[in-house]
Amino acid sequence: MPLRKPSIVFFALLLTVPMCFGAGLESLKPGVANLESAGVLAFGPEGVLFVGDSQAGAIWALDTADREPGSGAVNLDAADTKIAGALGLTPDRILINDMAINPISKKAYLSVSRGRGPDAAAVILSVDASGKIAELSLSNIPHSVAKLENPVSADAKDRRGNSLRAQAITDLAFLDGKVFVAGLSNEEFASNLQTIQFPFAAAGKSTSVEIYHGNHGRWETRSPVRAFIPYEIGEQPQLLAAYTCTPLVQFPVDQLETQTKVVGKTIAELGNRNRPLDMISYSKGGKKYILMANSSRGVMKLDVNNLEAQNSITEPVEDKEGVSYETIDSLEGVMQLDRLDDTRAVILSQNGDRLDLRTIALP
Amino acid sequence: MSRRLQFVLAASIFLSHGQAQTLSLDAGAVVASDAKATHSLEVYVDGLDGAPALIGDSTFSNGVLRFEPRYPLAPGMSYRAELHKSSGDPIVQVFEIPKTAVGDPTHLEAIYPSADTLPENLLRVYLHFSAPMSRGGSYSHITLIEDATDQRVELPFLELEQELWGPNGKRLTVLFDPGRIKRGLVPNMEEGLPLTPGRSYRLTVSSSWLDAQGEPLAETFEKRFTVTPADYNSPMPPQWKVSAPAAGTTDPVVVALGETVDRALALRLIDVLSRRRALVVGKASLTDHETLWSFTPETPWRAGRYRLRVDGTLEDPSGNSVLRPFEVSPDQPQPPSIPSISYLSFEVR
Repeated sequence: MPLRKPSIVFFALLLTVPMCFGAGLESLKPGVANLESAGVLAFGPEGVLFVGDSQAGAIWALDTADREPGSGAVNLDAADTKIAGALGLTPDRILINDMAINPISKKAYLSVSRGRGPDAAAVILSVDASGKIAELSLSNIPHSVAKLENPVSADAKDRRGNSLRAQAITDLAFLDGKVFVAGLSNEEFASNLQTIQFPFAAAGKSTSVEIYHGNHGRWETRSPVRAFIPYEIGEQPQLLAAYTCTPLVQFPVDQLETQTKVVGKTIAELGNRNRPLDMISYSKGGKKYILMANSSRGVMKLDVNNLEAQNSITEPVEDKEGVSYETIDSLEGVMQLDRLDDTRAVILSQNGDRLDLRTIALP
Repeated sequence: MSRRLQFVLAASIFLSHGQAQTLSLDAGAVVASDAKATHSLEVYVDGLDGAPALIGDSTFSNGVLRFEPRYPLAPGMSYRAELHKSSGDPIVQVFEIPKTAVGDPTHLEAIYPSADTLPENLLRVYLHFSAPMSRGGSYSHITLIEDATDQRVELPFLELEQELWGPNGKRLTVLFDPGRIKRGLVPNMEEGLPLTPGRSYRLTVSSSWLDAQGEPLAETFEKRFTVTPADYNSPMPPQWKVSAPAAGTTDPVVVALGETVDRALALRLIDVLSRRRALVVGKASLTDHETLWSFTPETPWRAGRYRLRVDGTLEDPSGNSVLRPFEVSPDQPQPPSIPSISYLSFEVR
């Protein structure tokens, strides 16, 4: 087929030209990316991977240079054993912290702690459609870093020895040139959501907003956000945040950038003994859904077609209320999920004593 | 057997076909001598079925094939090296990397709050270990048992995948599930608070928990306490009692806080300022079940006025901060606005 090759070249050129000059890639400078830990992951534009580094209190932007379009399904049984083996350890001596799909190449990226102590090496790996595990080398990679706000001043550290305060980064997301970061301190019980412009400014400064959920019965409460996703309701960009204590709350993005305190609208109570782990949004058959993995209530498929009209929950509820959902019984032990394409997702799930990476059809 | 001797023995084993070809360890790399450029050398975690070879780089020079693993071969692990030739069976050699010498077993040094009476809406507990611990699955080693019934309290803690370790790996923050503590939320209404006033409990930290070296704790640790009614009140710096030290001494300034405060925050968020607003250098400590804060300066006090600076984010163990209680009702009158920093003066004579 003689005509085909030039067209591929043409499209490849179309794809590569904006990659080189837009989307913040030019702000990433090659060098050693000294991650102290590799936690939550989110892909930004053009193969840029954002990595939450709780130990350093920072967000890294790494150029994966992985911009070859792909479409294959990612499947890797006993992923924990295979990843541990590639890193020279047994699975009980590593931790797989998060998984994200590169929206261009469709490869799965995993953040891993090699070792379980405070000196564990931070590792980023990719798994392709053939099941091949490759390490993203951090020794000479275009990158930039943004430090999160830290209330412990260098002053206090110097005088009192090293602070024990740490910020666990629980989730991050990229939307319209901004990285949103949710975190939880191991000391004060704050609920701050930080916004960082990307490309990161030289100082990498973030703005921070204190967020509350609405009035549950009588009590205005603050609580750390566990997982969140950007989501458009009507035409307004929102963040849908799942809390450690189970409500689902929406926040208008523009308020997060302009105000210092935002009270969100509680749109669902998802029941007790439950902790949200991960969320994705998708459309199927012209309808919009959110898939949410939970610690003990399985994977929920939430119907989010009518969120504009969803009333805020302002009274105490007996069990669950608000947005309706069904539990997807076929999906068990799901710890991480990310969308692969319009019809499929990739999950990392506990299967007996092993972790499997599997591609599933979106329910 | 010394590590060096073991390596020498491994290196001297003669393998298949009567050939004097050996696989050995050299400075953390696996080395095949008398090899050819067409050979390949792969290293696997021994016994880990289905796992790929270790990530690393192979180089060939002067008949020596050398595999440098990307990450160091780890103590306590067995590795299987395979030299693949163009034909015939591979040459296989297993290397055992000795465990590093283990010192005194790690133990739990303290649990804060240290008091044996704790409020029913207790939010935060710190576990302090004598050495760095391993991460992942930590909550499975912590149990809360009600004394009278000997029954385990189900899911009392907020189990986070991102466990709240301090940077040195020696302190874990454990939060009671805020969903159960907060009034009006489903978990609270259905299951109630994890702790009931008047009852006694045991917080148990199991010796099965492994430290960062992979070794279990010296012993299981138990903290017994009785539960008192909920604490919904913020720490109140204006009501603290400051006992000033004498000039010319390095005696501590002692502050009676009137209630138990969060130890980590109190050590971080209370400072002493001189009259010239300079931070006084010294060491702070908390005693009497975190109700007494004291500060010993490095150099003797001078006569004159000093100030305590208290950051408003200081909390008690129930999450009530100076600035606001853990829970605020919109129906209640708004509390008077509190400055984000409080100052308390004391006179050194």
